[in-house]
Amino acid sequence: MKKQIILLVVAMMAWALPNKTFSQQTEGTVRYLTTYDWVKMINSCDYLSKDRKDKIAYMWGNRSEWKMFNNLYFSLQKSKYENSEEKAEPDEEGYNGRKETFFITRNFAANTYFNALEMFGKVYLVSDSLKAPDWKILNDMKEVAGHVCMNASFTDTLMHQKIIAWFALDIPIPAGPDRFFGLPGLILEVNINNGAKIMTADKIDFKTLTTEFDMPKKLKGKQMNTLAYLTYIKKFLDEKRKAEEYPWGLQY
Amino acid sequence: MYKNICVFFFIVIANWAYGQQPSRVTIKGVVKDKENVEAPFATVMLLNPKDSTLQNFTQSNDKGAFTFANVRNTDYLLKVSLISYLPLQMTIAPSAVAVNDLGVVVIKPIAKELFEVVIRTAKAPLTIRGDTIEYDATTFKVPPGSSVEDLLRRLPGIEVDLAGNLKTQGKDVKRVYVDGKTFFGNDPTGATKNLDANAVAKVQVFDEKSEQSKLTGVDDGVKEKAMNLELKEEFKKGSFGKITAAGGSNEEGIGRWAGRGNFNRFDKTTQLSFIAYGNNINETGVNWEDYSEFKGQSTFDEYDNGDFGFSSGRGRYYYQSDEGAPISYFDGRGFTKNYGAGANFNFDNKKTKFNVSYFYKNNHQNYDEFDYKETFVGDSSFMNHDTTAYSDLRQNHTLAARIEQNIDSNNVIIAKANIRYGTISTNSLSNDFYAVNTNEILNNLLTNNSSDKTSWKLTSALIYRHKFKTKGRSFAISAAYNKNPGNNDDDLYSNNRFFVPTYAEEIHRKAAQGVDKQQIKSSLLYTEPLTKKFFMELFYNFNTSDNKVNRQIADGLHGDIRIDSLSVYYTNTVMINRLGTDFRYSFNGLNIMVGIAGQYLQMNGKYSMDKNMPWITDPINKTYWSMSPKVSFSYEFPNNMYLDFEYGYELTEPSFEYLQPIPNVDNPLYQTKGNINLKPERTHSVNFSYNYYNQASFSNVGFNVDYNYCPNSISYNKNMIWTDSVGIVTELFPENNSKSNNINSWFWAGYPIVKTKFTNNWSLGFYYDNGGAYVNNVFNKTNQYQYYINTSFNITPGQKLVIALSGKATLNDDRLSLQPDRNQFEQKYTSGLSVKWQFAKKTFFEGNFDYEFYRNSAYNYVKNIPILNASVRQIIGKKNHFEIRLAAFDILNKRQYIQQYSSSNYYFRSTAETLARYFMLSFSYNIKGYETKIKKNRGWD
Repeated sequence: MKKQIILLVVAMMAWALPNKTFSQQTEGTVRYLTTYDWVKMINSCDYLSKDRKDKIAYMWGNRSEWKMFNNLYFSLQKSKYENSEEKAEPDEEGYNGRKETFFITRNFAANTYFNALEMFGKVYLVSDSLKAPDWKILNDMKEVAGHVCMNASFTDTLMHQKIIAWFALDIPIPAGPDRFFGLPGLILEVNINNGAKIMTADKIDFKTLTTEFDMPKKLKGKQMNTLAYLTYIKKFLDEKRKAEEYPWGLQY
Repeated sequence: MYKNICVFFFIVIANWAYGQQPSRVTIKGVVKDKENVEAPFATVMLLNPKDSTLQNFTQSNDKGAFTFANVRNTDYLLKVSLISYLPLQMTIAPSAVAVNDLGVVVIKPIAKELFEVVIRTAKAPLTIRGDTIEYDATTFKVPPGSSVEDLLRRLPGIEVDLAGNLKTQGKDVKRVYVDGKTFFGNDPTGATKNLDANAVAKVQVFDEKSEQSKLTGVDDGVKEKAMNLELKEEFKKGSFGKITAAGGSNEEGIGRWAGRGNFNRFDKTTQLSFIAYGNNINETGVNWEDYSEFKGQSTFDEYDNGDFGFSSGRGRYYYQSDEGAPISYFDGRGFTKNYGAGANFNFDNKKTKFNVSYFYKNNHQNYDEFDYKETFVGDSSFMNHDTTAYSDLRQNHTLAARIEQNIDSNNVIIAKANIRYGTISTNSLSNDFYAVNTNEILNNLLTNNSSDKTSWKLTSALIYRHKFKTKGRSFAISAAYNKNPGNNDDDLYSNNRFFVPTYAEEIHRKAAQGVDKQQIKSSLLYTEPLTKKFFMELFYNFNTSDNKVNRQIADGLHGDIRIDSLSVYYTNTVMINRLGTDFRYSFNGLNIMVGIAGQYLQMNGKYSMDKNMPWITDPINKTYWSMSPKVSFSYEFPNNMYLDFEYGYELTEPSFEYLQPIPNVDNPLYQTKGNINLKPERTHSVNFSYNYYNQASFSNVGFNVDYNYCPNSISYNKNMIWTDSVGIVTELFPENNSKSNNINSWFWAGYPIVKTKFTNNWSLGFYYDNGGAYVNNVFNKTNQYQYYINTSFNITPGQKLVIALSGKATLNDDRLSLQPDRNQFEQKYTSGLSVKWQFAKKTFFEGNFDYEFYRNSAYNYVKNIPILNASVRQIIGKKNHFEIRLAAFDILNKRQYIQQYSSSNYYFRSTAETLARYFMLSFSYNIKGYETKIKKNRGWD
């Protein structure tokens, strides 16, 4: 009983604290744990036969996850998302693969973005003005990395993806992981196609950033705008649909 | 009338207002809680009321005030959200004035305990629908077997009294629904006491009209609390399977039949499967697809490497447990009858992977084979014309188990064992004519051999891996025990008839052989990160193997007396201690390894006539010490190009078979002597490979080169001499004879001619091998060249038609210095066409035509074999559960087994009859239903 009372008091204090010391923190880094479930990825591919999906799920169902870390640097004006050097998978073999060129940057003040994406051995530099998706806001709440978040969702018609995001109610930054942004709070979790890919914040540091937004000095690639990029993606998807193969390797 | 006037005025006013509405507007307000305290930093959103899409958002300031300046003046859904408050929603109509002041917007707090326990502690999402709150009950853990009542006791916001009655928000819960339906009448405790908590996905509490108002249809305003339990959708649970029965015959009326079936049951963590087959159509087992489905998630667990460190030249041995896997393998000769059945169980919950499987196999094979062999000696040669009638029966039982336990993220243990019991009985009757030059028959050797063999085999291994806190530092240890005892009883009869002068020599020997092999292995590995990119590895391998062989030969013609000169009992042991280290650099696609290992090898062999008899020769005691370096390099280029290079140097000890001081004369025409003075073979090996693939253009290209050089390779010298009353006797004696080189290289490429419709693949290969040995004291240098080229076209004009065309040419050029005029040039060309055509909704045609052409100009040997197969199948039933198939195999009745090759100082050709034309009708049932589409892709994506 005593224990319960203490718990209750602690709970009440915890309740009271955020309201009193509520301060707005608007700059820092988030480390996301990205989990790919390739059985679910294949399963969400509408043109593959059910037989094949069933067999892949049967053969690999409990061993289909692959994890990595990503970093997001954010401020009120800007954000940059990239792959982390830290490995989330145990790598016993000691083999180290080549680091792909990959970052996604946004300038909210100027309403522009600039992404460097590597697909099939080529680097594409995609830049244009920002356009947020039509987020639907629902009344779901949950905690991610210590922050209470609200639910937002949209359906991506190009990739046939159902996207569910959780944005923090106490970090008023419109940034988020990967290509996701445009919500009243920092996006701390994104779930694509019912777990085919999940990005969850597991560490948030509020701090003043220094060189994190800097661009790499050498950066070569094919320049593109949003339309050209989406046309490229669509063409590739159409080909893979005809070949009845999963579109591995896309950066989207 | 009055009412109508009101409506009229309203319309007028509305129209007036509309006309005056500004196109853009400022919406503002102040967020306060129930106690009228301002709520600072609340998230305030404007949504589209039709679909809740986000239009605009802002945040209330430290006084709770918010403003949307200059937004479109239209209908909005205003949403205010603040931590620990219920999200507030209100609709906003277009404003008549430029500033739409909403005044005070009041938000209500979420019940504290609900918020704390659900969101903070259980980390469950809360779904808010108006005033009701829903959350995922599965995040509240209850012990297995608990009832829903036990679960409800843990849930915040719900009270359960001793009798099991439920209360929420101070009110009794009158009704409990399960998936929206009443459960066990009206007693709310019926469901909560009887249902398993683990079956429940969600608990919903809501207000319901009273029973009274439901009956009368008049809403009395009284709301009662009700609860709905939403059950889990067991998405990963089910079963599948197929069964096929087929029968048919050829025109002579010889019956052909086949049956096979499999059944799999699975849920989230377990997989149980059964498979069985039987046939007389030369399917000796199951295909890979069926086997992998049988093994399920444990299919790829077979290869646990416990031999740490870089490979030791004798190949990386893996602790394989799928030895004896019932994968179909047929060598092409004769006729077989096959039966097999097995069961497999997998458990996999990410922490523990467990597999146990059993399989029984029974294969009976019989054939008649015709062999031709020409052996070159000095400047002449002799020929063998051999006719063999062969039959065997092989049976084995295999029981295998493996467990992989992840104790925590830093410790993993793997244990596995495989027990196999097998029997083989064989019988062969052969008639062999020896001739010199062309058709001058010397003698005729008739043999009738039969053999019965039983053997046990146990393989087992234990591997433990530990990761230290320091990233990259790890330790691993392995141990393995293998045992393989067996017994062999051979009955060997021969009658050797000579024509000039005419006499016959009869031999009948009975051999009883007992073998006991045992192996103990262990390895240690320690990895230390020197920097982020540099690693050091230290490893130690220990391997000791013991062989005991007792082979006692009795003379069947003379009262089964032991033949001392042929009976032998020997034991030999090999013990290897190997210590090595390597350094690795791995970063950004560049991986380099440089290592060295020192190996100390001890061999010990003892020979006597029988167990407990004195040793008849000096025991063999040999020790070899060697150092082997290893270098490997691999690089990943930015555009999906991969380059790999490897160099290794190894010392390989001569096997006991080569060293054995007692001659082996089981076959009186072949006498093998050992050579105690053999030196270990020294081998340098180099591998180079290149790979490129482009997913965007659907193309790939690559090549691979293996080169091995051995300056002192061991080969058998041969002495072939005419011995009266025996015939041409070949004496074999191993020696470190010569330099040997071999190159194996191949190239492949694939690209689309028309993307997704028409693709072309190529592969080219070149193999070269040289070596040599003495034949009757003349050194015979052999050079073997092999070239092949292979191309195929895949054409898929639409969803209903798949055509494949292929062609392959293989050329063997074998040269021997002994008789350059007897160099062999063997050609084999094959081409094939296969068609899959879905010509009606559920009707398919499948056919293939293959043409094989064999030629050897040295013998004017030419053979054409065209093979044509065709079948039609129809899928039947609403859910496509049934399939009926009519098939014709080898319509041209041409199938035959042909093999030809040259080696050392001889050329060999073998032909055998096998299953040719037959027709078959089959019926199949598939639990899941057949797919009514042509399968285009194979593999795993």
